[in-house]
Amino acid sequence: MTKIATTLERSDSTSNSLGPVKKPKRVGRWILFAVMMVVAVIMLYPFWVMIVTSLKSEAQFLAGSGFSWLSWSRLTSVIPIGQEVLSSTIVCSASIFVIVLVGLPAGFAFSKLRFRMSTVIFLLIVSAMMVPLQAILMTEFVNITRLHLTGGYLGAILVYASLGTPFSVFLFTTYFRGVPDELVEAGIVDGLGYFGALWRLVVPIAVPAIATVTVLQFIQIWDDLLVGLFFIQNTSQRPITVGLAVLAAGRTTSIPELMAGSIISALPAMVVYLGFQRYLVKGLTMGIDR
Amino acid sequence: MADITFEGVTKIFADNIRAVDDLSLHVADGEFMVLVGPSGCGKTTALRMLAGLEDITSGSLSIGGTVVNNVLPKDRDVAMVFQNYALYPHMTVAQNMGFALKIRGYSKSEIAKKVSEAAAILHLSEYLERRPRALSGGQRQRVAMGRAIVRSPQAFLMDEPLSNLDAQLRVEMRLEIARIQRLLGVATVYVTHDQIEAMTMGDRVAVMRGGKLQQCDTPQDLYDHPHNEFVAGFMGSPPMNLLRARLDATNGPSIEFGTQRVAIPTSYSSSHTLPSGDGPGVIFGIRPEDVQVVEAGDHAGTLTTKVERREALGAEILVHLSLVNAAGTSTLVVDDDGAVVTRPTTMVAKMGPRSGVAVGDHLRVRFNPDRFHFFDAAGGDSLRKS
Repeated sequence: MTKIATTLERSDSTSNSLGPVKKPKRVGRWILFAVMMVVAVIMLYPFWVMIVTSLKSEAQFLAGSGFSWLSWSRLTSVIPIGQEVLSSTIVCSASIFVIVLVGLPAGFAFSKLRFRMSTVIFLLIVSAMMVPLQAILMTEFVNITRLHLTGGYLGAILVYASLGTPFSVFLFTTYFRGVPDELVEAGIVDGLGYFGALWRLVVPIAVPAIATVTVLQFIQIWDDLLVGLFFIQNTSQRPITVGLAVLAAGRTTSIPELMAGSIISALPAMVVYLGFQRYLVKGLTMGIDR
Repeated sequence: MADITFEGVTKIFADNIRAVDDLSLHVADGEFMVLVGPSGCGKTTALRMLAGLEDITSGSLSIGGTVVNNVLPKDRDVAMVFQNYALYPHMTVAQNMGFALKIRGYSKSEIAKKVSEAAAILHLSEYLERRPRALSGGQRQRVAMGRAIVRSPQAFLMDEPLSNLDAQLRVEMRLEIARIQRLLGVATVYVTHDQIEAMTMGDRVAVMRGGKLQQCDTPQDLYDHPHNEFVAGFMGSPPMNLLRARLDATNGPSIEFGTQRVAIPTSYSSSHTLPSGDGPGVIFGIRPEDVQVVEAGDHAGTLTTKVERREALGAEILVHLSLVNAAGTSTLVVDDDGAVVTRPTTMVAKMGPRSGVAVGDHLRVRFNPDRFHFFDAAGGDSLRKS
C-alpha cells in the first residue's frame, strides 16, 4: 500500500510539474478531435440518411417512420442493377488496366532513360491533367462517333483511359525517380533489357504507386456519369451511375429505391478505397522525404 | 576469364564535358586493378563504359580480345558490384544471387548448386532465405559480391563497394574481397577514391585525374616513384610533403628553403634531370616518414622548424612543421577536387608516440637523403630519369 501510495504521489508530482507545459498540447488535441468529429458527422450523415431512407417503403418515407425491405426488393425490377454494376466493373477494370499498362513504361522511360525532348514531352503529357473532361467532351464524342465506338464499352474505356493516363504517367515517373538507377543497371548487367528490368525489378516494388493509381482512377471512373451517358448508348450496357440517373429522372421517383441503388453504387468504391488505403498514403507522399 | 584493354578510350558527355580522356590501360587476366582518384576524375565513368552502361565516344574497349564498344551489357559477360549494392528488394538472398543465372536459362538445380557454393565462400549459407532489408550492411555487401561470383564472369567490376560501410567493417571486407578475387582469379577492375583501399587491394593501381590516367603501377612503385606531383600528393596518408624551393649549386648542389639549405647527394645528378642555371625553381618531395627529428649532436644538413600543430594517432604523432626563415618557399597540396594548390610552407613529420613535442617547440629535422623526390616546378612531372 505504501509503495502504491508513493508511486501515485510521484506520478502526481510529475504531472504537476509538467502540467503547465503539457496543458496547451492536450487542449489543442481536444480541439482537433472535436473538429474531426464534426467533419466526420458532416461526411457520414448523408450515408446515414441514405441507409435509413433505403430501409423504408415509399409510404413510410413520406410518413417519416417505419421499416421495410420493399425498396431493396423492388430495385432489381425497376432497373437492371446487376447488369449495371457489371458494366461499371468492366469499364472501370479495362480503363484502369490501360491506364496502368501505358503509365508504367512511360513513367519508367521518363525517369530512367535519357532521350531528346524528354522533359518537354513529359510536361506536355502531364499538362493534360489540367484539361477538364467537360472541355473536351464534345470533340471526344465526335471522334468516338466517327470510330463507331459509341454503342458499347470500348468508346468509354478509351475516353477514361486517355483522361487517366496523364495522371498515371506523372505518378509513376515521380515514383520511379525514387528508385535507385543502380537497381535497373544491376538488372541490365545481369542480363535484362529495359522492359525486363521494368517488369521484373521495378514493377514488383511499385505496388504502392500502382495501388494509388488504381484507387484514385477507380473512384473517379466508377462515380462518373457523363462519359457513361454520352459514350455507352446501348441501354443494356449502361453503367450504374447512368442507371441511377435514369431512376432519378423518371416521371415518379421513389426516393427509398434511389437510396438503395446509391448504396449499391457507393459500396465498391468504398471497398476499393479501404482495401488499398495503406498503399494510398505511401503512394501519394512518395518523393516528399527525398 | 579474360583480360581487359582500354585503347585511347574517351567519353564526352553533353555540354562537352570530357569525363574520360584518351584512356589506355591493360588489365591482365586474373589481375586486380584499382582505379583511384578524386571525385570527378572519370574512374566511375571508365568502369561504366566497361560494363556497357555508358557509350564510348571514341577509342576501343576490349574484353578477352573482343572489342565490346557496341556489345550490349548483358552480352559482355561481366558482373558488377555497385556502391549501394543494388540488391533486388523483393527477392531473397538466394533469388538475388541466382537471378542472373535464371535469366540465362539455367536449371533450378544448377542455380541452387552455384548459389550454395557462392554462399559458402561468402559465409552467407544461413541467410539465403532472408530478404535484403533483414541483412546488415556487411551482409548486403557479401550478397552483392555473391550475385557477381555465381555467374563466373569474365571480369568483376566494382564501383566503390565499401564506401557505405563503417571503418572497421571496411577493413574486414577489404581483406575479404581481395581473398575472393585471388581465389577465383578473375580480372577485376575496382573503383575507389580511398587510396588506402587502392594500396592494400590492388595488384596494380591506376591513378586518374581530370579524366586522364596519371600513372599505373604496383602500389609500392606508385608510392616510391610517383610520376608527378599529383600522384605524390594523392597517394599516401599523410601524403608526400611537396615544397616549392630553389636549387643552388654554389657549394655543391643543394636545395634552398629561404636562408636554410639541404645538400643534395651526388647520386641524384645521375638519376634525375635536375635543372641547371642560376637558382632554378623545383618541387622538392619528401614523405613524412623520411623527415627525421634530430635530437642532439650533429646538426649538419638539418633544418630548423617550428611545431605548428600535432595530431596524436596513438601509434604515432603527426607533427605539422613550418620551416623557419623560409621566405620564398611554399607547399603544394592536392585538395579534395584533385587540384594541386599552394599553401603556406608547412610539412608533416611522423614521430613516435612518446615524443614529448609540443606546439611552438623548435625542432631540427633531417630529410632521409635516399628518399628525395624532385618534380618540375612548371609541369609537375617527376625529374627522375626513367
